[in-house]
Amino acid sequence: MHEQLETLLEMQDLHMQRRALEEGDVREFESGVFDMSVEEALAALEDKISDLERRLTGDVQERYRRVIGSRHRAVVPVLGGVCYGCFVAVPTSWASESDPNAKMNVCQNCGRFHYYPP
Amino acid sequence: MQLRDFFSTDTVDLALKTETKDETLRALVGLFHLDEKSESILFKMLKRRETLGSTGIGRGIAIPHCRSLVVNRLRVAFGRHAAGLDFKAIDEKPVHYVFLIVAPPLEVSNQYLPVLGKIAQFSKEADVPDRLAGLESPKEFLQLLEEKGV
Repeated sequence: MHEQLETLLEMQDLHMQRRALEEGDVREFESGVFDMSVEEALAALEDKISDLERRLTGDVQERYRRVIGSRHRAVVPVLGGVCYGCFVAVPTSWASESDPNAKMNVCQNCGRFHYYPP
Repeated sequence: MQLRDFFSTDTVDLALKTETKDETLRALVGLFHLDEKSESILFKMLKRRETLGSTGIGRGIAIPHCRSLVVNRLRVAFGRHAAGLDFKAIDEKPVHYVFLIVAPPLEVSNQYLPVLGKIAQFSKEADVPDRLAGLESPKEFLQLLEEKGV
């Protein structure tokens, strides 16, 4: 897997954790069942996301910032040959490569980064 | 929706031989048979969640959990550790029973939180730790879930 894609995946997961913690149900569950200090957790997630963002190279970082600012999710899976960000078919040649995650693939329609689940 | 429907015998390990929390998380992630990179990402995310606060809820039970793009459906696993592990649990006691739950960011039926809730509910039943200690096979684990009807 491309190193930058791996970083983006981690960032995406952290963004998701942060958003989930900001929601009522998850917030209540995490603090109620696991005794989590939600405000501290949110701050820690924010720090880690910023730290990872600094690891992105120029063009990837630029695209990431542009996409995350307007579309919430910068990385989306490709399932059944369809981008799960905009639901438009992607070129089949990408998926047929032995490891499509070895290079950075970007949706030609919505601009999100693509991830091919195993 | 019943917890039993999400578990299978091949994602139950009643004889974990791990020595640390990290090793245990890796061992349980390994039960999903993902590729090496996906395992590594999932492990990182679970670790990250643990740094936000331990998932050890007391009475020897921990429920590590996270969402990640590297899984394409909700996955659960269970592991039992005879000696007990330092999980920095709420009650500071060793953890013997670990329920792992992971899910993709978006699920059609949005089962992640309800399943997490059912595991927590199951774990709080008074006799559960003893019943888990007495299990002799993964099949018995599934039977216990069925019996409890959660």
